[in-house]
Amino acid sequence: MNAVRNFVFARRGRAGKWHWTDIVTWIWLIGGTIIMFGPALWLISSSFKGPAQLAEFPPTLLPYVQEVAKVEGYDAPLPLYQVTQEDGSTRVMAEIRRIGTSAQMVDPANPEERVSVRLTDRQPVREVGLAINNYTDPFLAFDFMRYLGNSVFVTVMATLLTLLTNSMAAFALSKYRFKGRDAVMLLIVATLMVPLSVILVPLYSVVSSVGLLNSLWGVILPTIATPTGVFLLRQYMLTIPDELIEAARMDHASEWQIYWRIILPLAAPALAVLAIFSVVWRWNDFLWPLIVLSRRELYTLQIGLNTYAGELNVQWHYILAMTVVTMIPVVLVFIFLQRFITTGIAGAGIK
Amino acid sequence: MGRIVLKNIRKAFDAVEVIHGVDLEIKEGELVVFVGPSGCGKSTLLRLIAGLDTPTSGSIEIDGRDVTKAGAADRGLAMVFQSYALYPHMTVRQNLSFGLENQRMPKAEIAARVDEAARMLEIDELLGRRPTQLSGGQRQRVAIGRAIVRNPTAFLLDEPLSNLDAELRGTMRAELSALHARLSTTMIYVTHDQVEAMTLADRIVVLRKGVIEQVDTPLNLYNKPQNLFVAGFIGAPNMNFFKVEVKSGKAELPGGAQIAVVHEGPVTLGLRPQHLRLAQPEERAIAAEVFLIESLGAETVLHANVEGAGQIITVLDGQLDIARGAPIRLAFDDANLHAFDAAGQRIG
Amino acid sequence: MPLVLIARGLDPVLRLWQRCTGTGGMITFFLLPNMAIFGVFVIIPLVLNIIYSMTGGVDILLKDRSFIGLGQYGRLLECQDYLVSTTCREDQFWTAVRNTGTFVLFQVSLMVCVSMITALILNRKIAGRGFFRAVFFFPVLLSPVVVGLIWRWILQRQGLMNLIVTQLGFDPVVWLNDRFFAFSAAIGVSTWAHMGFYTLILLAGLQAIPKDLYEAAEMDATPASRVFWRITLPLLGPNLAVVLVLALIRGVQIFDEAYVLTGGGPGTSTLFITQYIYEVGFASFLRNPGLAAAASILMGLVLVVLTLIQLGLSRRAEKGNAR
Repeated sequence: MNAVRNFVFARRGRAGKWHWTDIVTWIWLIGGTIIMFGPALWLISSSFKGPAQLAEFPPTLLPYVQEVAKVEGYDAPLPLYQVTQEDGSTRVMAEIRRIGTSAQMVDPANPEERVSVRLTDRQPVREVGLAINNYTDPFLAFDFMRYLGNSVFVTVMATLLTLLTNSMAAFALSKYRFKGRDAVMLLIVATLMVPLSVILVPLYSVVSSVGLLNSLWGVILPTIATPTGVFLLRQYMLTIPDELIEAARMDHASEWQIYWRIILPLAAPALAVLAIFSVVWRWNDFLWPLIVLSRRELYTLQIGLNTYAGELNVQWHYILAMTVVTMIPVVLVFIFLQRFITTGIAGAGIK
Repeated sequence: MGRIVLKNIRKAFDAVEVIHGVDLEIKEGELVVFVGPSGCGKSTLLRLIAGLDTPTSGSIEIDGRDVTKAGAADRGLAMVFQSYALYPHMTVRQNLSFGLENQRMPKAEIAARVDEAARMLEIDELLGRRPTQLSGGQRQRVAIGRAIVRNPTAFLLDEPLSNLDAELRGTMRAELSALHARLSTTMIYVTHDQVEAMTLADRIVVLRKGVIEQVDTPLNLYNKPQNLFVAGFIGAPNMNFFKVEVKSGKAELPGGAQIAVVHEGPVTLGLRPQHLRLAQPEERAIAAEVFLIESLGAETVLHANVEGAGQIITVLDGQLDIARGAPIRLAFDDANLHAFDAAGQRIG
Repeated sequence: MPLVLIARGLDPVLRLWQRCTGTGGMITFFLLPNMAIFGVFVIIPLVLNIIYSMTGGVDILLKDRSFIGLGQYGRLLECQDYLVSTTCREDQFWTAVRNTGTFVLFQVSLMVCVSMITALILNRKIAGRGFFRAVFFFPVLLSPVVVGLIWRWILQRQGLMNLIVTQLGFDPVVWLNDRFFAFSAAIGVSTWAHMGFYTLILLAGLQAIPKDLYEAAEMDATPASRVFWRITLPLLGPNLAVVLVLALIRGVQIFDEAYVLTGGGPGTSTLFITQYIYEVGFASFLRNPGLAAAASILMGLVLVVLTLIQLGLSRRAEKGNAR
């Protein structure tokens, strides 16, 4: 037990004393955890609240739904309220309709008797629950499904093509000596200096003149020749011994076979890192799709979401739910592959 | 099958020439060892034969066919690499089959060949494992197996035993020797270890700085080294050398011993440490003073100073009771004396 | 599996190609796809950008545009007093430049401080170090749109931030409608989103410092503060420099999350250069692609300088590690 406690609270202070740095450390870590995770958790919690609850201030921590009751003589279930009566006692009643500052209400046990109650005299009866239709409506009523499909298509195709072209180039640049190799490397390093925002206008004109405007391929193609990908893979391939390739050559392997039967399997760890990065990058891309895609049915999730957030300014309940859906793949990557990424960054210093 | 002829091979990397015109003929079924100090070009020469590098000039023929321009895959050779170069992502069986699959050999034949080679090398238990799960010696066998299944015209082995510990190296050396006897396929073996060279080779090629110094059988190299370099390189400990002046067919060794040499002018005389013995009182001998005694049990190695002529090393049988600083006299037979002229070439 | 079949099916074709063209042909084959895409989507646009910046008009296609020399640059740089953006002909550009400059100054300092402290803390022997490293890294993976929307939701009138503020006894604020708070939010949110990345780089640097140096210092009874200033900081120097320059490079290009968060407002108080380029190039009804190209080239020059500094620093860092 002592060993466990020592491990959990390992600190500078000797003999069980707390050094001030230990306190700072734990305040920082716990505060950091709240600040880093809190906003996302708040988003998720909010995304399950109904529009009425979202408009409330102060907001509640958890999502609630109003209780409803089936009342004889009414087709739809009626919302329940806690009504404060004149004598100070309370009873639960169902609302039939609102009229100005008061509401016409009924006792579920006694559906015949209608009472008029002032809005200030009643409180909705609520329980913790999820407003699932925040999620179902966008899928049914909006083009959300289509956006999701577009995003998946862009992400998968771009990642596959990135892995293929980058690994081929990295293979040539790491395992062959040829004239101009240094020049090609220099060119690739140089393009690191050219972020998208610098070539926005001419890139648009190039994409438009090859007819890829308003096409998902116009989003995919410009992203696949990433210098970082070539870099990362080349660095890794340099560590694969040349003797393996020579052995394969003695074994009658063609250069293409050497690439896909020797180099690709052996570079799998680096390919995995690049694949994860590529998925996250392409899923999250915003500025470039925003420029290339102007037809609604081609929007990716990010563009669709931004457009909704601009248009449906009042419908936060849908926006929040869609934001959560947009976040899901990245959260899955985070949960299952986080270790890969963090070691990848520490090793190569890339993003 | 397996006759390899090199004609005036030169190889330059960028502007630096590392092989300066090598001519060599390797007979069918022969085991030839390339030996020399590091940087002598022995591995480069092997890679040129393998087709992994192309010579700058000259030609290579295998069984009368000029293969100078042919790629590594088209020469029908197999190679065992120093690091073994086993494909780490494939099992032992896949490692052995890979080359055969590339030649589009029928599956059944591949399996038969792999099983036969595995049985021969006693690795049939390991066929399902990956290289990382094998010991050094087992990897070595798999690497050899990968060469054997190909049934090549010749085997090329690049320092195949250098990654093994001393004991295993001895065993594998014997096994390689037996394997060669059994397959009787041409083998070219590169090493810097002269014990391997002496024990394995039919003929040894001694290389230095990209030039062949001598090609001969192991014993001829030992008994009749053609030049100072070969004399000093073959044999351990190294041969003792003395620079003397020959006047009218006679030279005087340090200590006054007179010997006859068929030459005039400056000459280097060489004596192997094993060919010296403690002199009888009256015998002609070299006088020296012991400064280091290495008692190995079966033999004793004496390091001694010869006045005016540097150091001399001698290997004597048995255990000797000699103190540091003691004067000794070392005798030799004229037949064991090697003489080299001013250019370093053998006399007589 | 279908990929394997394709690769296998390609083999005879490529073997033939290899036989005809030799290894050189195969190198070309391996490089071609990547370099072709590079050429079309990076190199050609780079050259076109210079041409664009020297043409006028509102048409986006080059053939419809007229050559006007350095006019666009003149227009961008025409200013009576560079410190007061309203005296400039392109006052929006100068507002964006000033905003970006201020943003970079504060965001980069904040980023370096916060990620440095976090890295130092994560480098201690604490329980659950892997977990906490992941915690700080989490927002790095989120898309800028998601980041922007999360914080827009928190900073809105009935949001979480106002709940906290009112609990502390202050009046609620409409954060994103206030010039100062909106700008601060852009700084805070982008720091929140990216600090995990820089923390990882610094942490890798800290873990590369040999443990025996600290043990030696402990044997010499060196005080902790002295250990930090004389051992940790100098040895971390190269990594710190790389982090600084990387943060600068990315700070200059700030767009996505700030755009979703504030849309550049209120007014032009969070208008940054990339948004200016985007709006002048594509969105605004006063479209002028030539002007956007000229502005992007000016920004590109700044980035080139920063990248060269970074490459120089990482080379020095490598040399330092080798020593």
